[in-house]
Amino acid sequence: MSAAEAVSVRAERKLTLTKGSQAALFVLAVVVTCRLLGAHFEWLVKWPAALTVPMADWMTWLVGGFLDIFKPIARAFTFLVSYPMEWVGWLLNAVPWPMIVAVVTAIGWMIGGIRLAALGFFGLMFVVFTGYWSQGMNTLALVAVSVPLALVMGAAIGILAFEYPRMKGAVNALLDVMQTVPTFAYLVPLLVLFGFGPVVGLIASAIYAAPPMARNVLLGLERVDTEIREAAVMSGGTRRQQLFLVELPAATQQIMIGVNQCLMAALSMVIIAAVIGGFDDIGWEVLQTMRKALFGPAFLAGSVIVVFAIIIDRMSAALAEPRQPQDRNVALGILAVGAAVTIWSLFAGWSPTGVAAMDGIAKRVDEGVGVFTATYGSTLDSVKNTSMFYGLLPLRIGLAEAVLPFTWGFAWTVKHTAMLYGAALLISLILIFKGRVTAAVMVLIIAYIAEIGVAHLAWPVVILGAGAIGWVSGGWKLARLAVILLSLILISGLWERALLSLYLAGAAVFACAVIGGLLGLWSAMSTTAWMVLRPICDFLQTIPLFVFLIPVLMFFQIGEFSAFIAICMYAVVPMIRYTRHGLVSTPDEIIEAATASGAGKWQTMFEVRAPFAAPTILLGLNQTILYAFAMLVIAALIGTTELGQSIFLALGQYDVGLGITAGAAMAILALVADRLVQGFAEERRQALGL
Amino acid sequence: MTDTNSTAPAIAVEDLWQVFGENAAPALRDARGAGDDKAIAKELKDKTLIPAVRAANFEVKSGELFVIMGLSGSGKSTMIRCISRLIEPTAGSVRIDGEDILQASDKRLIDLRRHKLGMVFQHFGLFPHMTVADNVAFPLKMQGAGKAERRARALEVLQMVGLEGREDAYPRNLSGGQRQRVGIARSLAVNPDIWFLDEPFSALDPLIRRQLQDEFLNIQATLKKSIVFITHDIQEALKLADRIAIMRDGEIVQIGTPEEIVLHPVDDYVAEFSKDVPKGRHACVESILMDGIPDNMPDDPGIKIGMTLDTALTKCMELYEPVPVRDAEGKVIGAVHPHELANALQAEET
Ligand SMILES: Nc1ncnc2c1ncn2[C@@H]1O[C@H](COP(=O)(O)OP(=O)(O)OP(=O)(O)O)[C@@H](O)[C@H]1O
Ligand SMILES: [Mg+2]
Repeated sequence: MSAAEAVSVRAERKLTLTKGSQAALFVLAVVVTCRLLGAHFEWLVKWPAALTVPMADWMTWLVGGFLDIFKPIARAFTFLVSYPMEWVGWLLNAVPWPMIVAVVTAIGWMIGGIRLAALGFFGLMFVVFTGYWSQGMNTLALVAVSVPLALVMGAAIGILAFEYPRMKGAVNALLDVMQTVPTFAYLVPLLVLFGFGPVVGLIASAIYAAPPMARNVLLGLERVDTEIREAAVMSGGTRRQQLFLVELPAATQQIMIGVNQCLMAALSMVIIAAVIGGFDDIGWEVLQTMRKALFGPAFLAGSVIVVFAIIIDRMSAALAEPRQPQDRNVALGILAVGAAVTIWSLFAGWSPTGVAAMDGIAKRVDEGVGVFTATYGSTLDSVKNTSMFYGLLPLRIGLAEAVLPFTWGFAWTVKHTAMLYGAALLISLILIFKGRVTAAVMVLIIAYIAEIGVAHLAWPVVILGAGAIGWVSGGWKLARLAVILLSLILISGLWERALLSLYLAGAAVFACAVIGGLLGLWSAMSTTAWMVLRPICDFLQTIPLFVFLIPVLMFFQIGEFSAFIAICMYAVVPMIRYTRHGLVSTPDEIIEAATASGAGKWQTMFEVRAPFAAPTILLGLNQTILYAFAMLVIAALIGTTELGQSIFLALGQYDVGLGITAGAAMAILALVADRLVQGFAEERRQALGL
Repeated sequence: MTDTNSTAPAIAVEDLWQVFGENAAPALRDARGAGDDKAIAKELKDKTLIPAVRAANFEVKSGELFVIMGLSGSGKSTMIRCISRLIEPTAGSVRIDGEDILQASDKRLIDLRRHKLGMVFQHFGLFPHMTVADNVAFPLKMQGAGKAERRARALEVLQMVGLEGREDAYPRNLSGGQRQRVGIARSLAVNPDIWFLDEPFSALDPLIRRQLQDEFLNIQATLKKSIVFITHDIQEALKLADRIAIMRDGEIVQIGTPEEIVLHPVDDYVAEFSKDVPKGRHACVESILMDGIPDNMPDDPGIKIGMTLDTALTKCMELYEPVPVRDAEGKVIGAVHPHELANALQAEET
């Protein structure tokens, strides 16, 4: 081999780039183009207004016409549903509270023994003493009517998808949409359809709660053992007999998990739907007190919601587990005591309305918060300001704008830009020298983002960047999907707000990934840590989204930072759980092999467990992203300027078009992020042969 | 019941193929050009399809106990799933009492399953949400029987399999062997004419297994069902079978009576199955009759038709000339050579 040949071979070897580095180089090319030419061609950075399509108006027109057609039917439905709703509401309010406490306690006893009976009793007694009994019952009435609706709808969808496998793809897509479209977004068309009033909340919560039921019914049916299915066939059952006498009952456990999730979703949504107002329920109470900055009452009302959520969750979760039969007489005894207390309270004339036994607590909380913020106000402010000025703000509008003399101590000039890119270039050269081309290119792209901020990213960078990531993680099909969907937002005129959503969700997801990842790692390493973290995770996952806003508001007031914290609190949980789960569920023989090779605890963790856990951790990240987007809309209640706020605006103005378009934009962001991460998880899983 | 052709075999399977994978039917049609069955199977495998049953041809006579044996994954369960049309065969035909079951309407199939076919599943397939009695009575419920009648019949068959007293337990509270017996009881509840059993005794301990095998032979002697029985256990196969089919990789390599399988295996694969079988106890003298009867046989140790090789050999230990074989009336109907007897028994040791 001659020297020339050797050189050419080496050059060739150097030029074979991985898929990842090809994509990164492509994005870098786009970045460079936009950065250099952006000043001369404005359309490269900012999509020309002339080319935006009045998508919201079209939607108003299109959906409006559609809604007009269905309005009479919907109104009739409203009329029909309002009866059972009123009836249940009346019933729950008319039945004396001791009886309801007794019934719930007795149910708790029957399904979970003393533990759940105690939970039911103390939980409801707490509600009695807060004085929010009647508001609580109104909320429960909504749940009681919407849940059966959601269960029937969900079960029907699940069975349909199972019976007609050809429809499965379509059904799954529908369920994805039902769950990713932000809850507020479909409140607007629902308001138009069903008219103002509590029925809208009921329908919205049924729509929101049906998908988990449908998914679990489908999953349960699919998991029924083939031979059980075949045994029903060989017994000569008709298809309907097979389904209802064998397959559905055999799937009970999975279906009960669906019921549990359905209940929780319905409760969460009923409370969210309170923003429409007009109904004296507990969500409304929270909202009202929060708006008036009455933190004590908001805290109490929020606790009532949490108590409901915990009782409903634990009891319905217990239904999914096999259990021992309990002594019926105890339940009867509890009911008898309830009846006795009822009679006493009738004679004594004691009713929970207006009870203020807890107002002392509320006041104390108020004062406590007051004192706390007074004492630590400067600390809190500095935490908030530091994160805003040095973290969130630069991420949003870029160092070039965020670096100001009064925060950073100097003004950003061209010199600094040159220094930033110079440093990035240096790092990337070192990385290239080490053969890590992808990382090197990424450093340059990150420098660009740091300079101008997420909110000012040139549109080709975002769209083609997402396309490139899609190409790496899932091939051309995914790339096409990402580009087309994002382009829809671009031409809809909601692009700027979408970028803001992207920024806030991105920042939260990043924070969650770091913090959650570390906490997950910690709980994987230490059982004590998990013992502490686990109930916290359980708790955070049980309480309705709305409630997260209360403590955040107490300490950080209205604003972007509070929204950020609320999102993080909610979205960090799956990251912790999945990271830990992935790390601890590495097969034993692999760990043993590592130990036998002389690997230490941390070595095993990083060399063996971490790669093995990668797909699971990625799934956790995926969940975190979806959670973050779900919370984003709720967090808009306390002051953000992104898509979530547009949705609120639409809700306030009854603007169907804007509501749907903004909702769809939000859903697109969530969906694209979800698919991209899932693609990577899938690729990792296959690489590991799982 | 329905009119059936009484002279037809209970089950007739012709050129039956079951290919798993996407677009199996067209792939099989294309592959037919490749030549013989082996070539077809190879071509299918190259397309990452799984030919689980290949060109199966056999008949089960009315009242016959037909055993299918083969290694794990050789397609035994798939075969009976095809015959009972739990899965749709890719090609071929299956007749039950002369009726083409692959053409049967859904309604007809339900009818057949309610009254004529019974099946015991390899992993029992018990309904987890029903008590033992409800499980057993389920086929009766499908037939539309009343509650009291169902309960009575369920208790009756449960007694038959030795599970009296457990009728109100749930399957999860039973041991593996008990569950299997519930499965057997369930398939017996409607008294089917044709009975498919997929390794029905595999989860039982040897003692119970022998007991149930004997019970099973009793039932069969009185009820005379047509049975397809799958097992891994050669002893069990030899004990129960009228005929045995041996499967390998989806292909039936040999069909024959127990003696034929033991004494004349067509290849090493079949021979391997009966390697540890003491042949003398299973094969009868008929299987080694000489062609023709020699004119002059000096000795007559009293060999009778139906005598096992072991017994026959002890009778002619010292003899070197062919000896006559007589039927029950004492008429000479053939002859065996003692040398052949010894050879037949020795075949196993090598
Ligand atoms: N539904 C299916 N889809 C794809 N392949 C299948 C399916 N059912 C069975 N097979 C394949 O067909 C082949 C035969 O399987 P089958 O269950 O009939 O074996 P078997 O002889 O009953 O084995 P065992 O003794 O272990 O029960 C196996 O390779 C199996 O993987
Ligand atoms: Mg099998």
